[in-house]
Amino acid sequence: MNPLRGLVIVVYFSLATLPLAWLALTSIKTYDDTISARAKFIPWADNASTAEAAGESARFAPTLDAYRNLSRPVAGTPNDFYHYLGNSVIIGVLSTLAAVCLGTICGYGFSRFKLPGTKDWLFFILSTRFLPPLAVVVPVLVMYRWFALENTHLGLILLYTSFNLSLAVWLMKGFVDEIPRAFEEAALVDGYSRLRTFVRVIVPQASTGMAVTGVFCLISSWNEFGFAMTLNNYDAKTVPVYFAGLQGNIEGVPWPQIAAGMMIFVAPIVLFTVLVRRHLLRGVTFGTIKQ
Amino acid sequence: MGWGFVLPALILLLAMNLFPLIFNIYLSFTNADLSGGLVKSVGARNYTVLFGDARYANALSTTALFVVASVSIELVLGFALALALRDRVPGKPVILTVLLIPMMLCPVVLSLFWNLILNANYGVLNQFLGFAHLPQPQWLTDDDLKLVSILLVDVWMWTPFMMLISLAGLNAIPKYIYEAAEIDRASRFMVFRTITLPMCAPLLGLAVLLRATDALKQFDLVMAITGPNDASTQTLSTRIYQVVFRDYKVGLGSAYGVVILVAVIAVATIFVRYIDGLNKRQGKAEA
Amino acid sequence: MAKKPVAASSILVGIGSVLALGAGCQKQQAAAPESAPAAPAAAPAAAKSLTIWWAQWAPADGLQDLANEFGKQESVEVKVHQIPWASFQDQVFQEFGKNQTAFDIVVGDSQWLGRGATKGLYVDLTDWLPSAVPVKGLHPLALKYLAEYPTGSAHYFAAPAETDAMGWAYRKDWFDDPAEKAAFKKKYKKELAVPETWDDLRTIAEFFSRPAKKQYGNVLVTGRGYDDIVMGFEQVLYAFGGSWGDAKTMKVKGALDSADAVKALDFFKGLLKFAPPGGSKLGYGDALEPFVNNSSAMLMNYFAFFPDLAKKMAGKVGFFAMPKQGERRFASLGGQGFSISTKVADSQKELAKKFIAWFSQADTQKKWVQKPGGFTANAEILKSDAFKKASPYNAAFAQSMDIMQDFWNVPVYNELIAATAQQIGEALDGKKSSKDALSELAAEHEKILQAAQ
Repeated sequence: MNPLRGLVIVVYFSLATLPLAWLALTSIKTYDDTISARAKFIPWADNASTAEAAGESARFAPTLDAYRNLSRPVAGTPNDFYHYLGNSVIIGVLSTLAAVCLGTICGYGFSRFKLPGTKDWLFFILSTRFLPPLAVVVPVLVMYRWFALENTHLGLILLYTSFNLSLAVWLMKGFVDEIPRAFEEAALVDGYSRLRTFVRVIVPQASTGMAVTGVFCLISSWNEFGFAMTLNNYDAKTVPVYFAGLQGNIEGVPWPQIAAGMMIFVAPIVLFTVLVRRHLLRGVTFGTIKQ
Repeated sequence: MGWGFVLPALILLLAMNLFPLIFNIYLSFTNADLSGGLVKSVGARNYTVLFGDARYANALSTTALFVVASVSIELVLGFALALALRDRVPGKPVILTVLLIPMMLCPVVLSLFWNLILNANYGVLNQFLGFAHLPQPQWLTDDDLKLVSILLVDVWMWTPFMMLISLAGLNAIPKYIYEAAEIDRASRFMVFRTITLPMCAPLLGLAVLLRATDALKQFDLVMAITGPNDASTQTLSTRIYQVVFRDYKVGLGSAYGVVILVAVIAVATIFVRYIDGLNKRQGKAEA
Repeated sequence: MAKKPVAASSILVGIGSVLALGAGCQKQQAAAPESAPAAPAAAPAAAKSLTIWWAQWAPADGLQDLANEFGKQESVEVKVHQIPWASFQDQVFQEFGKNQTAFDIVVGDSQWLGRGATKGLYVDLTDWLPSAVPVKGLHPLALKYLAEYPTGSAHYFAAPAETDAMGWAYRKDWFDDPAEKAAFKKKYKKELAVPETWDDLRTIAEFFSRPAKKQYGNVLVTGRGYDDIVMGFEQVLYAFGGSWGDAKTMKVKGALDSADAVKALDFFKGLLKFAPPGGSKLGYGDALEPFVNNSSAMLMNYFAFFPDLAKKMAGKVGFFAMPKQGERRFASLGGQGFSISTKVADSQKELAKKFIAWFSQADTQKKWVQKPGGFTANAEILKSDAFKKASPYNAAFAQSMDIMQDFWNVPVYNELIAATAQQIGEALDGKKSSKDALSELAAEHEKILQAAQ
């Protein structure tokens, strides 16, 4: 293999993973070690003779305190990390379920029926993805005030569902397109109603597609910040908003806890990325590129 | 019949997207305030204020600069990386999957963490630079460098996206074309310029469009790294945040929203035409 | 095959599932603390509750402790909800946009009075305050800045809750070290002691600035998120003879861009030379870090942050009030007042008044000052020796109360602060000269003030 290529790969791989490695290291440090003037990156403490020498050394004593402290609220906050993680899970999972269900149904409709204006509808659905959340947040905020949906789980679930629908519809339409019509036609000939055909024939065939779509919708809701921060700023807060709110904390930003919390927050995403790695290209390009 | 399947999703989308946009237009002609109070019509005053405001022009240029810089850097780096990874590499599946992780992570949460790395006082990046006897810039406070810091995080996160699509493009080039070029004894550079690049171009174009539309929305990174009120990094989205949630001017914020909406529709139209063109070309190629 | 049932059932399934899930979630949420206006009669003895919103810092913890006593007395649950400073203002005013706010009392910053008063968000306390709170016994500056709008009009929209001012913390152990003392005397021909003037402070900062050893002379508050940099600079501005402008005529030019003001900004910029890297962008909380990690000699911040410092660095830290320039000595005012939201039930407003009255009694105030970060407006307590000796920072605080200065509290104060933070920030970042920054700022301020007329 060309040494230049090898060099490029190695350099880029290190650059890509080093921040993540630093994240992992930070999560096993004490607070003082994270802001010490001398960066500490060797998790093996030697018994340094003086405090000064310990300050100068690149070694630190690893500890799992940060992870243990996650179940205690940070100074001045009403709940601990797991409460906010719970919010993220509830909002993420429910909005994903709703988006995938509605998206599959809708994708099937566009795929199998020659509806007038399909292209325009699909364009409209896609364009909702291009809108910067902040451009839309103002009227949504006012609307939510009428229905008392600010700072509720339901409010964000509704919003994320509609937000993810564009992704869900495009992806599922692509997946449903790939299912041969022969299966449905056989079922219809057998006297199944459309709805039953959909449930009995299409859904099982599209289940991989639904899972993949579900993963992407979940990741999108999990990571969303713009709406979460403006609509749910003191109740039903999700983890990204919680972490952002720890900036400027009175007792100093609790870096080890943030790092530990991030490791836990990020773990499901990493897991899902690995699970759908074969469909990653399709998912991030809205189903326009199928590998 | 088909409408039955399609309607639920469409109704939800219309309610959550179309209605707010119309309402946005209405609000942009009023003096609505975030803290409530009487809403009065003020004609087109919000628009005259908007277009006359130097900060609007600044936000526009900052956003444009950010989009162009981030997309081009990511394209070059991603494509180079794809070139390096296209053939057999030991452990390729693992390497690929690991490389793709940064783009799936939460931007806000990561930027908060990058603040720790880029901190001028105790950040590990500056310590590393000092160790190598290189200058230690103040990433987060130096005016010229704040946008660079944001670019740095964005490039770190999204280069894998470009790499993924470039790989797809590169892998789609049939081997026999390269074999024919070899028979013709074309130089490596010629091959790259006349075969590789043009055949990848459509997918690369798609990648650029996708990334550009995402970069236009940039909000999370700016909020976490410099805050919304920083002149050197204020993008359109953070400008709206400042106007609505700090200055409490809902009417003016809606005017910004309408302006952005027009831009977004333009971009979306280009995007859809491009995809159509791609599909047609694929159809022709297969025919 | 009927078309309608499929369409209807699919719509129902879609919407119904989302709503059902949502309704389930609503029930799971903690019940909102405000009591429904009409419900109490029908609902069985529902526990009363009082919600107070404040910023996230030590005094809020103290308030919660103290409020629990009131709660036991009156069988009410008092909840103090803390919000980080950087988003406190935004969340409060966004919440005010609702028909009913989640809080009954907000311990709002002094500058918010104008907005709260003119937009009908704060309950007018003019008639009630003098009868319920020992107004004559309050420090005059505290009453003026924390309760009145317009300032000096004796119209009250808040009751003083927490007084605060900016001061300095310093490394007593470094100042007392004989080797340092000798070196200082040798270099500057004077004693190393707590600085009396701004020039003294600068000299000491210069002395302790040893970047090669990662030691720095001073840490200033320069954050851009809220009013950090504005408050940090304000005391220097006034000490050198500048000012924000004339409150009666709304004229800013001539005051904010005067030669004295430019000198003040240049001086402030000069102090940054002895600050740690990144020192031109440190918020209230961030500024603590370079002092706590043992790399800085002096720290400027609000006294409310000092109790935590005194605890963490016991024996190593001392405190002093703002130095003077010539004969002018000013400290940026801090402190918040209790304001009652107009958007809650009348019964809640009465409960809130009861709480405020209880809090302002001398007995409660004596307990309040014992809470870390709890500072009183009660003039007698402030003058007492017992108070001054009660902690290492109280004496400096009592001294600071007499030299307080506040920013504009007009309804458009938030725009004024945002513009100030931006312009002064650019001057500190080296993007503009002090003169240019201040002239542009003065022009911007006048524009904002006039547009609001």
